[in-house]
Parts: sequence; structure tokens; C-alpha cells
Amino acid sequence: MSTTLLRTIQPNHFTLLGTALFRRNRTTTTSRHISVRCLGSQTASSQPRTAPKNHGSNKLDEILRDYEAVIGIETHVQLSTSTKAFCTCPNTYGSKPNTSICPVCMGLPGALPVLSSKVVDFGVRLGLALNCGLSLKSKFDRKQYFYPDLPKGYQISQFDVPIASGGYVDVDIPLEFGGGHRRFGITRVHMEEDAGKLLHSDTGDYSQVDLNRAGVPLLEIVSEPDMRSGIEAAEYGSEMQRIVRYLGVSNGNMQEGSLRCDVNISIRPIGQAQFGTKVEIKNLNAFSAMSRAIDYEITRQALLYNQGQADQIVTETRLWDEGAQKTVTMRKKEGLADYRYFPEPDLPEVILTQEYVDSIRASLPELPEAKRRRYEAMGLGIQDVLFLANDVSVAEYFDQVIGKGADVKSAANWLMSDIAAYLKNEELSISDVKLTPQELAELIAAIKDETISGKIGKQILFELLAKGGTVQGMIKEKDLVQITDPVEIEKMIMKVISESPKQLEQYRSGRTKLQGFFAGQVMKMSKGKANPALLNKILLEKLDAKE
Amino acid sequence: MAATRALLAAISSSCARRIKIQSSTSSSSSSCSILQFQRRESIIIARSFSSDTNSSPDISRLAETARISLTSAEIKECEPKIRQVIDWFGQLQHVDVNSVEPAIRAEMEGGSLREDAPETFENRDSIRASIPSFDETYLKVPKVVNKE
Repeated sequence: MSTTLLRTIQPNHFTLLGTALFRRNRTTTTSRHISVRCLGSQTASSQPRTAPKNHGSNKLDEILRDYEAVIGIETHVQLSTSTKAFCTCPNTYGSKPNTSICPVCMGLPGALPVLSSKVVDFGVRLGLALNCGLSLKSKFDRKQYFYPDLPKGYQISQFDVPIASGGYVDVDIPLEFGGGHRRFGITRVHMEEDAGKLLHSDTGDYSQVDLNRAGVPLLEIVSEPDMRSGIEAAEYGSEMQRIVRYLGVSNGNMQEGSLRCDVNISIRPIGQAQFGTKVEIKNLNAFSAMSRAIDYEITRQALLYNQGQADQIVTETRLWDEGAQKTVTMRKKEGLADYRYFPEPDLPEVILTQEYVDSIRASLPELPEAKRRRYEAMGLGIQDVLFLANDVSVAEYFDQVIGKGADVKSAANWLMSDIAAYLKNEELSISDVKLTPQELAELIAAIKDETISGKIGKQILFELLAKGGTVQGMIKEKDLVQITDPVEIEKMIMKVISESPKQLEQYRSGRTKLQGFFAGQVMKMSKGKANPALLNKILLEKLDAKE
Repeated sequence: MAATRALLAAISSSCARRIKIQSSTSSSSSSCSILQFQRRESIIIARSFSSDTNSSPDISRLAETARISLTSAEIKECEPKIRQVIDWFGQLQHVDVNSVEPAIRAEMEGGSLREDAPETFENRDSIRASIPSFDETYLKVPKVVNKE
């Protein structure tokens, strides 16, 4: 409902409002489109992440011979808890503005925050998933600043003792960008609360605030500045999304704002130890945008270096303009902000016991990295591995199918080609599909032992996906059992040959391609049930024999 | 002892006379090790006040960050008073805490966490009614250009 009140943000009309403004978005593509995007990487056409197919990417290669980009990413993850972080207001997306409020999250006098146990649980979960060390004792601090979307005048966050720190994440770079493994460090993970939403008004002399989001729990993940390119950064971002979805701590939707990434980037001449001036980039709504923004910024900064104007690069926040495909200055940082951090007096220490941590560690699901390595060990190619492990529901489905004994490679192929295409066309996710993993395993087995032909298999797959049902049932109902009796096939072949004397003569006089015609006729006669291999073998014999 | 540190931290956070470490790390993406930082901070807080007796608190800056308007007469008047408060706390410098493990915050009772069960606040209407600039759906606020 609140989306109807949203004003479209014109790309050239940058008001200098807080960045909270830019988190609202026009489009509401959901998570399934993220997994569909991965399908795009299978085909040549729809590849959002490739650099533009012009001299752009060559220019970048040239630049990267002289300069090294140093990139770090700050990710804010909105947690999918039922309540806000410090009060019992419901945490639901899309409610009518200013309805999920109470004295605590509104910062009214006398109200006191009480931490939700779920936030700690999710924090530990994410910290462990990112291979961090946990602080068994951590605390909250007040980060103080004044802004219309911050009711208390401070944000409750964790400053010097975060709940988790010193971790890493392993990613696989997609093949089309060179492939390979990378490990990126994670500096810290900490708990904090979100601010409200600030909206831009048409007339421009006032703004509007919706405090439904104020107090919603966030986990902030700060990476080490280990990334060196837009591709690496995008893959890091994707992996963060994958991990929070696998863990079930967040739905990780960049469009909804439940996953927000800010990039910090600087470049330095290769060989220089000192870091260059750091620039922050905000307003990134997709991983592809992240990649392109980084490429643009590298180019912009390198150009200034080359022109001897490196001092023009200042510490500032820039916004990514999706329409113009460039970064633009938002504001120059006038010195570092002074948030006057001090320990939050209204909240006690967050204390974790080793048993608590161990029990959470034991309950973690198989994470994307572990899945990828397991799939690789099963013999699947890296392309298949990346596809299957990308979406946790697809991976689960796949695991169930092979759990029923199906052949690994066949299962992978079905999922990646026909089933993926179906999902994309119908705009469904794997969990909506009526074909059960059991039945897919049956289908694979039926084709393998030649009960039905591969072609028939594809046909009934479509029906099974849409309507469900069993493979055996469908075979019986439609009489689809493959004909593998050579005698029967020979009978049909002889009939077809006798009915097509003209084609026979043409074949005999050299047009051997007409074999296809005869094969097609036999297939038609057998309603597609003739075993193709056997058919062609006998057909060839008969066609050539009378010669 | 833990209380000492918390008090000092509170004052030092609002005190314009910056302890180097505290003021320089505003964004959480500083790359220095956080735990080391915390140790250092707790030790240096104890030392720096005693060495810093000559510089005065920057009251006008302090007022600016707290969004309190003061005339220059009021600033003049405040300065020695704030100075006195800090010095009074400064007595804690004389306590020998070298053998005490630093606490991360002042001791507080409880630590019980809340269940993740949603409850709608019954009196949201009166909250909204008490906001002068509430216009049916949103809070109307002046357009603010820069975050602090």
C-alpha cells in the first residue's frame, strides 16, 4: 500500500536527502528472479554481469595493469524476525505507514529497550557461518546523530565489542569471468537497529517519515578490503545473500531493502603499499549494479591519477546513478563524523555460553561452500555446481532426487535445463512445482532402463510439473512404453517402406538423407514409442539391404 | 572499577577534548583489530586525563553536537563548571586498577532476553495524535540535507 505513495525518483534529480531515501524502489521483483538470473548465465544473451561489449572492458584491463583496486563492502542484513530488535512491535514488510510503532521504537520518554533472543541467535548463526570468532561477552553502544528517521537521536549498535569478528568467506568466481576460488576476510559482524524510512515529497520543501522500520533488527557485516574487482565484489555480495538465505536469517532481497551493500573503493598504483583515498558508493540495488559501479569508479579514479589530478579524489560518498550508469557526488565528508559512542546504559551485556554456541553450530545447515565442494566431489562440473548450489531450495530438491537413487548427472541436467526453463516461463520457484523429487527420480530411472524414450520423458515431464501425478501412472495411462521388440519395429519399417516407393527410389539413387523421412514415418506410426537407436539400426539395414 | 570505566567513557564521549582513539573511529570499517582497540582504550582513558590538564573542553562544539544553543556568555559561564565536573571525576585517576581485568561495561542486573513474540501496542492512536506534524499517514519533517 505504501508503494502507491512512492514518488518515482528521477535519475537526474538528486536531492541531497539521506541515503535512506534511495532504499525504496519501484520494482518488486522477488527472490525467485535472483535464482532465475543464474539461469541467464547459462545462455549467451541475458547476462547482466558482463562488462559492456565495447572497448569498455579492454580499457579496464589496461587500467588494471597499472593500478590495483582495493575494495571493501559493508552489508546490512535485515533480519526476518517476528518482532523488532528492542520491542515487541511486529516486523512485517509492507504494512501501512506508522502502524508498527510503540513508545520504545518511537523513542518516547521513559521507554526502555529489551533485546530479543532471536536477534542474538541469528547473530551467532551468521557469525559462525562466516567462520568468525565470537565474543562471548559483547555490549551495545549508542551511535549518536540527529536525523528525521532516527527517533531516539541515537542508533543502538555495537561499536568496539561486536558479537563476531575475524572470519572469512570462500567464493567461486563464475566461469564466464575466469572462474577460480577466492577467500575474502570478514572484519566483523555486529547487531544494530534500523532507522525509519524517509520519503521525498513532490514540492521538495518537506519530507515524510515512516517509522515502521525504526527498530527493525539488522546485522552489519564488514568485510576486509580484500576484493580487487567488480566481479569479486559482486560475487562476495551474492555469497552474502546465499548465506543469509541458507541460514534463514533473512530473505536477502536487495530490492526490498533487506540486503543493502555499500562499497568502499580506492585505487593505488601497482606496487604502492599505501592505500589511496577511499570513496564510498551507495544506492546499489543489484549485484550487477555493484560490479558496474566499481568498474566505473576504477576508471574515474585512474583517469584522475593519469591526468596528475589524484588529489581530486576525495573521501566522499557517491551515489550510483543507474540511469546514467555513473557515480555522482552525494556529499563531501567534512571530516569524519563524530558519533560520540558510549556504552548503552539501558542494555546489559550480551553473554553467550559455550554450550549455547555449540548447540547453534550443531544446528547449522550445510552452507553453500560445503555444498559446492560436495557437488564437485560427486563429479559435477563447476557450472552445474554453481547453478545447483545457488538457491537453497533447488539444492534441497536436487539432494532429495539423488537421495532416491537417481543418477547425479541426469538429475542435474533435468534441473538445469527443462525444469529451470519451465520455472522461468511460469515465473515459479522450485517449491511451487507439482513434480515431486521422488517422481523425478522415477522418470530418470524409467529413461535409464529404457522403459520410455528420452523424448517421451521430456513430454511427460511438462505435464508432471504442471499437474503432478506419477510417472508409472502416466506411462500406463498414455501407453507410453517404448517399443524395443526388433520384430515389431521391423514390421513397421517394412510397412513404411512399402508405402513410400518414391522415397525409396530416391534413397537408392543417392539421397541418403531420406533415412530421416523413413524414421519420422515409423515414429509417427508408433506414436513416438519406437526406440530410436534400434529403429535406425534396423531401418538402415532394410534400406541398404535391397540395394 | 567497572563503574569507573563506564563513567569515564560516558564523559569522554561527550567531552569535546577528544581522546585520540575514540574520535578517530567513527565508521565501523576501521581495519584495526577491535579487541586490541578496546584494551588500548581502557588503558589510555586512565592516562590521558592526567596528562591533558591544560586544554579546555570545546564547549561551543559540544553544544553544537548536542544541538543546544548557547550564547557566548553562556559558553563562558559553562566552561569552568564543566571543567570542574571532569576534574571531580578525575579523582578516579588515583585508583590503582593495574591488576584489575577491564570490564566492557558497567555491571547491570539481569540480562534476560525477550521472546520473539509480536504484540501490537494498543494505544498507537494516542502516539500519532501527540505528533504535531503527523499528516494522516506520515510524520511531516523539514527537508534535511546532510546527515551529521
